[in-house]
Order: sequence, then C-alpha cells, then structure tokens
Amino acid sequence: MDCHNEECSRPQEEEDIMDIPLDDPEANRAAAKIQAGFRGHMTRKKMKPEDKAEGEERQEDRGQ
Amino acid sequence: MAPKKDAKAPAKKAEPAPAPAPAPAAAPAPAPAAPAVDLSAVKVEFSPDQIEDYKEAFGLFDRVGDNKVAYNQIADIMRALGQNPTNKEVTKLLGNPSADDMAHKRVEFEGFLPMLQTIINSPNKAGYEDYVEGLRVFDKEGNGTVMGAELRIVLSTLGEKMTEAEIDALMAGQEDESGGVNYEAFVKHIMSV
Repeated sequence: MDCHNEECSRPQEEEDIMDIPLDDPEANRAAAKIQAGFRGHMTRKKMKPEDKAEGEERQEDRGQ
Repeated sequence: MAPKKDAKAPAKKAEPAPAPAPAPAAAPAPAPAAPAVDLSAVKVEFSPDQIEDYKEAFGLFDRVGDNKVAYNQIADIMRALGQNPTNKEVTKLLGNPSADDMAHKRVEFEGFLPMLQTIINSPNKAGYEDYVEGLRVFDKEGNGTVMGAELRIVLSTLGEKMTEAEIDALMAGQEDESGGVNYEAFVKHIMSV
C-alpha cells in the first residue's frame, strides 16, 4: 500500500477493496436496496419451515 | 380539511398533524411526535382475503398476546408478507423512533395496515434487473461472477450494513470452488422466496 507508482502491481483483491465507494451516496443507496431485497428473502426463507412450528407454538402459548 | 373520509379505520389517533413545521425543531421532542409519514391519510385498499392473510402473519409475531407487535418487528412482518422495505423506510413510517421506542413501543393491526400499504405503494421497488445491475458493478472481469469475498465486504460496509451472521446465511452455498458467485443465478434464487 506504499505504492505511489501507477505501474506498481498490487494483488487484484487489494485493489478491489480499496475501490469500495464508502462515501458515495449513490453506491450506498444501491447497496441498501440490494440489502433490503436480501433481508426480505432471508426473513421469508426463515418463515417457511417455521410456519408449522409457529402454529404449534402459538397454541401452546395461548394455553389452547 | 381533515382527511377523515376513511370510515373503516377507527380514528384512534389524534387529529392528523398539520403540515410539517417549516423550521427544524431545535430539540427532538420525546412526546408523540407527528409521524414523518401521515399514515391517517393513507387509503388502505386491501381485500378481505388479503386482510385475513396479513392478520395471520401479524399474529405470528405477537409474542405478548396483546394483539400488537413491537416497532422492531414491523420490518420483518412486511418481509414475511413479500415486501422488501429498507430499514430506513420503516423507521420513517414509525416516525423515526428512538432505539428504546423500537424495542418497547407496540402497534396494533389497524395501525400496521397503513404502514404496509405505504410500502406496497412505494415507487422504485427493485426488481430482478435492479439487483443484477447492482451486482454487475462488481463483476470486474465481465464474466457473470463477482467474488464472494468482495460481495461480503460490500454488504458489510455499504448501505444498511449486514452482520457477518446475516451474510453467512445469505451466501450459504452460493460461492463456487474459486469463491465466485454467479450473480444472475444468485438473484433468481433470492427472488424465488
């Protein structure tokens, strides 16, 4: 990371990591949208098998 | 001109807040601040069948048995119902509550409906192309894959940061032997649930 020379060859990964636009509002907005989609997916995935378990649990909780 | 034409919803809230004050408040008022979104003006347009589905999902989240759910559960209920709100959209709907409010304040089903309606009505909802294009930005070689490691970093440092646990759950089984992710397949998988 001390390379000041443009020609300096850095490992591809390091370069990519340094490219992450932390302060770019557009990039952050785009990321937030993607993350929202991911979170939606994960919640729904979690709910699926849980559906039946939840139903049973509910009956127990309510003391039938 | 009070927007009280919605006879269905019980007007349990006080009169709808007047237009937002022009001057920014000096101190954040702890009192029931006017919601950033005027929920009382939202026309709820769900069919009886939909309302029944929503009520069922809502009930699954009620752990207390008071027919309400906590503020911090609202986003998940919406996700369970097929929506993909950002956390920011939800906190705005809730009137930008404090962390304490998020954990302790509760909302009943009737109050939840206009929130859900708002999210359902919101424009700019992301679809397959949006996700693919968003991920394509990181496709350095233009070969349809992004490095899993890079994606993980993006998800944990940009936007609404995800935790390591969330990312692990998301990426489970998605990376190939060289750690790459075929993002079109990934997005299809995401959208299938």
